[in-house]
Amino acid sequence: MNTFANITNLTMKTENQAWRDLQMHASAQLRADFANRTLRIARGPAAAEWEQLHTHAATQLRPGFAARVLRAAREIPRRLTLSEQLVFGAATAAVCLLAVVYLHAHNARVENERNLAGWQQLAQEADELDQTL
Amino acid sequence: MDQTATTALADLVRRAQKGDEIAQRELIVAYQHRVAGFVFAMTNRSDYVEDLSQQVFIKMIRALDRLQAPAQFESWLFRLARNTCIDQLRRQKLRRIFLPFGDEHENIPEPPGAVDTEELDALRHALAQLRPQDRALLALVQEGRSHAEIAETLETSVAAVKARLHRAREHLREHYQPDHED
Repeated sequence: MNTFANITNLTMKTENQAWRDLQMHASAQLRADFANRTLRIARGPAAAEWEQLHTHAATQLRPGFAARVLRAAREIPRRLTLSEQLVFGAATAAVCLLAVVYLHAHNARVENERNLAGWQQLAQEADELDQTL
Repeated sequence: MDQTATTALADLVRRAQKGDEIAQRELIVAYQHRVAGFVFAMTNRSDYVEDLSQQVFIKMIRALDRLQAPAQFESWLFRLARNTCIDQLRRQKLRRIFLPFGDEHENIPEPPGAVDTEELDALRHALAQLRPQDRALLALVQEGRSHAEIAETLETSVAAVKARLHRAREHLREHYQPDHED
């Protein structure tokens, strides 16, 4: 009976030890500042991180930034806004369309006049032929 | 911002509107770091910060006389900044579609750790996962804009701003991993 109890105890000890080893191995995988890190992730970025982001961005501006902006505002010609570009495009298209319509009308008129003159000449020649006959 | 500061700012804006170059310079100096931060949060690119900030302030100087309420200057300025950044991101997207192999250097992201600490990299990584509109929302909140001001900037309702802000914060938290590896 004692031997059975000893074996059972030994097995349980081994099993407990195995669990402890597993836990130790698992916990060794966690980084030293696991708790802080988890809290930080759970809370999301704090004000300090945004502050760092702003500080980094501010260092990207070269000294004399304001003077450069003022100079550029004076010197660089203003770029057209999207709506201005659209209006400009529409106006250009309208002018082109008008030019096409005008050219077409002009050409048609010239062609008609030429054809009419041809027909008139033909009619005149036919009349002359009738009279001679 | 307290009442005295608001009045002082409105006076400064009025002087700048009249073409006073000293006042214009003061406005740029007062807001350049905040605008730079906003631009960086929106684009996640250090090399865009100076150019885009400059564009924002040039637009500011040229459009200042059209600003009706000088007291609304800050929200107006950040609306300019937001629109400038979103235009830039759209242009970049179009360029990528039409010139997939051109200007490849434009699309190289900054390597992790190139900027600063692990936390800042994590914030940049998380921001990069959001839509530009959501980044703008979070950056505007960081700038101290109220929900009403943001609603005015985005031409939407306060309730919509609150809902979108809630979702944007959730997404940011989801992607915020200080020990992430790309």
